[in-house]
Formats: sequence, C-alpha cells, structure tokens
Amino acid sequence: MIFLDRNRLMFRFPEVHEDAICSIELQRTLRIPDDDKDYPLPPGLGAFELRHLDDYSARLPQSWCRRGGVIAPMHQAEAMWINFTSDYPFAVKVATGKICAITGDAWTNHLNCDPQDYAVLPDQPWLDGYSVEKGIIRQFVAMPLGGGYTVEEQLTEAAVHGGIQFVVYPIKAERYFDHGMQFLRSSFGRDTIMGLAPGGRMKQDIYDDRRGLDVWDQRHGSRCFVSLVNTAQWMAITGERPPTDPPTAQAYTARGLPWFDYYDGDSKVMAGSKKLRNLKSVAKNAEATSQSDLPDNETILVPNVIALGKPGRRPVRESAGDESVF
Amino acid sequence: MTHFGSTIREIRERLRRDDRRYSVRQVAGRVGIEPAYLSKIERGEVAPPSEATTVRLAQDLGEDPDVMLALAGKVSTDLQAIIRKRPRLFADLIRQLKEAPDKAVLRVVREVRDGNW
Repeated sequence: MIFLDRNRLMFRFPEVHEDAICSIELQRTLRIPDDDKDYPLPPGLGAFELRHLDDYSARLPQSWCRRGGVIAPMHQAEAMWINFTSDYPFAVKVATGKICAITGDAWTNHLNCDPQDYAVLPDQPWLDGYSVEKGIIRQFVAMPLGGGYTVEEQLTEAAVHGGIQFVVYPIKAERYFDHGMQFLRSSFGRDTIMGLAPGGRMKQDIYDDRRGLDVWDQRHGSRCFVSLVNTAQWMAITGERPPTDPPTAQAYTARGLPWFDYYDGDSKVMAGSKKLRNLKSVAKNAEATSQSDLPDNETILVPNVIALGKPGRRPVRESAGDESVF
Repeated sequence: MTHFGSTIREIRERLRRDDRRYSVRQVAGRVGIEPAYLSKIERGEVAPPSEATTVRLAQDLGEDPDVMLALAGKVSTDLQAIIRKRPRLFADLIRQLKEAPDKAVLRVVREVRDGNW
C-alpha cells in the first residue's frame, strides 16, 4: 500500500514484513549548469508538494484520472532529485514519461537484471538524474511536454505520458531474515504538462544489485504515477500558491553554501545507459532549435564540497536551512 | 520527561561511537541550542524543548519527529490543526482505533490509488 505523509510517498508492505517500509520524496534543488562539466551533488531545498490526484479530478483530464497517483508542481527548467529512505531492502524502478531512468528502456512493471533497471535500497540513498555513464548522471530537469526536450520525446518521438513513475518491490521476508539485515480540461495545453529532460552532468554512482533478482518479492509490488504540472496550473487546480522559484546555482554557490559528494567504496557501480548517453541535454536541444528555454546556465566553480562517505547512518544532504536567505 | 532526555542521550551516544560529529557540542550547534542546555535536557533537569527544537533534534539524530514529540509529551502543531478542524470526527476515530492492531489502523489510512497507465 502507498500513502502520503507530509509530501512523502510511503510504501508499506505489512503482508511481507512489518519492517518493509520505504519513503520516496521529490526534493527541490538547484539546477546545475548544463555545460558538459561534471558537478558534485547539489543540496536538498525541501520536498515538492504532493497531493492525491483524485482530490482534483473535476479539474483534470480524464486520461490523468485513470492513472491515479499524485500530482506535483514544478517550475519550467526546475531540477529535482529523488530521496529514498529505508532500512529494509527494496528494489525501486524509476521512470520518467514511462522510460526507465537507469536503462532508457520502455516501462515494464517487473524487474530486469540484464541490464539492471532498478536501484537497490538502502544502498542507493538518492537518484538525481538519468544514468548516462559509470558514475555520471544527467540531472532531472522539468520541461514542458511537447517541446521535444524530454527523454520520452527523444526516445519515442511522442509526448504522451510525462511525469514520474515508480514501482517498489520489497525483499522476500525469508531473505531479510536469512541475511540478518539491519538495515483543467480545455485549458490543459501541452505547455502546462511537465515531463523530465536530461540536464547538466553530475557525479553520482548507481549501484549494482549484489543480491540478484531472486531475492525480490515481485508478488508484492506497489506502483505510483506522479503527474507534473507547471506552477500556474498547480494554482488553478489546487487553489494553493505555487512554490517560490528555487535559487540559481550561481546565487547559491556565491553565498558559500555547500555541495556534496557521496562515495560507497563497498558497492559495484553500474555502467550507465548508452541510450540515455546519446540523448540531447536541455541546453544542447535549446541551442539546436535556437530557443532560450534555459536561463542562468553559466559555468560555476564549486569550492565548498562536503564529502559524505558510506554512513553508519543516513548522510544528511541539506544546506542546513540556509536556503531561506534566498 | 526524564525518558525523553535519556532516549536522546542514548541515541546520540550510539551515533557518537561511529561519528565524532555527535558530541553534545556539535549536535547542539547544528540544532541551534547551547551545549549546556542539551546536557540538561539529556539529564532530565529541564523540560523537553520546544516543538521546533525537538523536531530539529529528531532530524539531526535521524529519528522520527512525531515519535520524539510524543516522547516529549507533545503533539505536533499540524496534527493539532487537523484535529481542531474536525474535532468530533477525529476524537471518535482515535478512540475507536486506540486498541486496534496496527493492521486494522492501516486499513483506514488513505491509499494513493494506482490506476491504469
């Protein structure tokens, strides 16, 4: 079962094990420059608002209502990362526009191991973007569906789904014990619906599944579709004020606030997807079409990087509330 | 109150065994209180801190803020607001569920619906 708790998606599998609980949160963050340089991890600036889509069904297209799930607001060209929290082991598939963010393959509900199309929790604390090379991702950046920027459009030549999709599978209870682990109808124009596109390059490892496919309990999965709308549409749908603009990477860095690096020396790192590597980033795409959809994209120097090693506990990747100065 | 303090101390000391950033001084610094005040809280010499401080303390120690607030004898402001909005309904609901097993309580939690996609 999935429920919403303070803007977190809580996945709970009491039928598998009482400890089988994980949360997924979409974190607001800085958009790193899309300039082909490799940047460290940007901070978390608080969670995106999430609401039950069913609560606004009268103001949404029927095709959205059929999907169920939740709805979230994003500014155009705003970036996000996905925050996983769990002690119990889970396999999590993440897709945008129904394209896997790890392999670039079309969505399937089940797990695949060749190539591995899921992240393993709790080894993987975060996912900031599309896996394009070993140890390198391209940041998740929100762009209007229909503009040709999104991964979905670049790989399928169609702008149908947008949004973010998750499916979560817990480890089989017996394997947990075995290992002794602790561990608006007419006004719904295309430019109001958001999808995710590949942004700037960032250093982030995505870890191999060291246990193998058999340990995951694929009889007990839970799926969720997160529909993304722009901030004007969010206000029209929910009546709530949209979130303020996040700070730019330049402004954040100029104030001496920290960026992050994370290493887990014990885990093997996945190679990254060739399909995703060959996609055009937002900046390249805008350049090719002579559009100016990506403001504040100047290269920056990042002097203040905090190294977060393999933790005895979960590492904290926040700017200690300093974002309030913006 | 003493239970709150000793729990905080126990968690902090456990974390400090692996990570020196969990000294009284450093935790107090991150949470925004004086080290002497945190020591007094841990020893149960003063009442648990404000809601905001308790939440920051819980977050720094990697604990659930609601659980820490409950230990401090408090209910978070957002939960109070929810109950105040529909007091009779929620008072009834909580009383009805007070003895129910976790599985039964989970059945009344509103699920995020998965549809056809």
